[in-house]
Amino acid sequence: MTPTEALQAWLALEHEAVWLYPVVGARLDALRDRATTSFEAHRDVRDDLVVRLRTRGVEPVSAALGYAVGPLTTADEARAASRSLEDRVCAAVLTLAGTAEGDVRELAVTALRTSALAAQVWGAAPTAFPGLP
Amino acid sequence: MTRRVLIGTGVAVVGAGGLLVAAEATGRLDDVADAVGLDPRPEPDPGDTRILRRAATATAALLAGVESTAAAHPELALDPVAAIVREQLAALGGATPPASPAPPADVAAAVDALATALDAARTDRRRDALAAGSPALVRVLASMSAGHAQGVRAVRGLR
Repeated sequence: MTPTEALQAWLALEHEAVWLYPVVGARLDALRDRATTSFEAHRDVRDDLVVRLRTRGVEPVSAALGYAVGPLTTADEARAASRSLEDRVCAAVLTLAGTAEGDVRELAVTALRTSALAAQVWGAAPTAFPGLP
Repeated sequence: MTRRVLIGTGVAVVGAGGLLVAAEATGRLDDVADAVGLDPRPEPDPGDTRILRRAATATAALLAGVESTAAAHPELALDPVAAIVREQLAALGGATPPASPAPPADVAAAVDALATALDAARTDRRRDALAAGSPALVRVLASMSAGHAQGVRAVRGLR
């Protein structure tokens, strides 16, 4: 996988996050503040990735109309969907970290910490190797 | 007759009785190597080997700190953190820890000291991940750094 392909895979997940968190916040009052914080963080990352890809002369992947994240009726379901998303972001940015050098690797390593902590905020237990299968 | 091990550049394929470094770094490294899907390379990069050994020694010291804190303050729920650091050390091939100071007798100070040690390890493994050459080693170290970040948060939550 090239760095550009890895950036696109990451962007696809950021699109999903920008879709997911407003749904979580709208459906579950108890999670609204946390979902808002997560939404804003992922929106900023999404926008940054779009610019980075365009700078590379690549058309960024588009968002889907919706995402199959499972039921979001209860807080537990919403937390599970959020953890799943952050775990997948961990895996995507870790892939990028291994393929990229310099600034892009640093971006990926920083993003890995952010997403690992986000997964924890959404209830994930700490792990030895976030992002590794 | 070959054994895949993670040494610096990722997977080195060595024969029985091969590189000393490879012999040191066997065991659970295989699991990590399999997990990240490595490309076999015949020779380890010396810089990566240094990074790996330094990380292993530092992680051994970190584990010693977690274990001594847990022994001194059994009321702290440190088993999950100890298990994580133990897994990380094993993935790096293990190492002998340097002598480390006793943890603070005050429980709050001990928690702070452990969180500080984990955060320092997080910073150091991040630095190593940015410096490493092998994609496999970059991933392992970056992932460890993120795992340490989770550990810092978990330990601070014990206060």
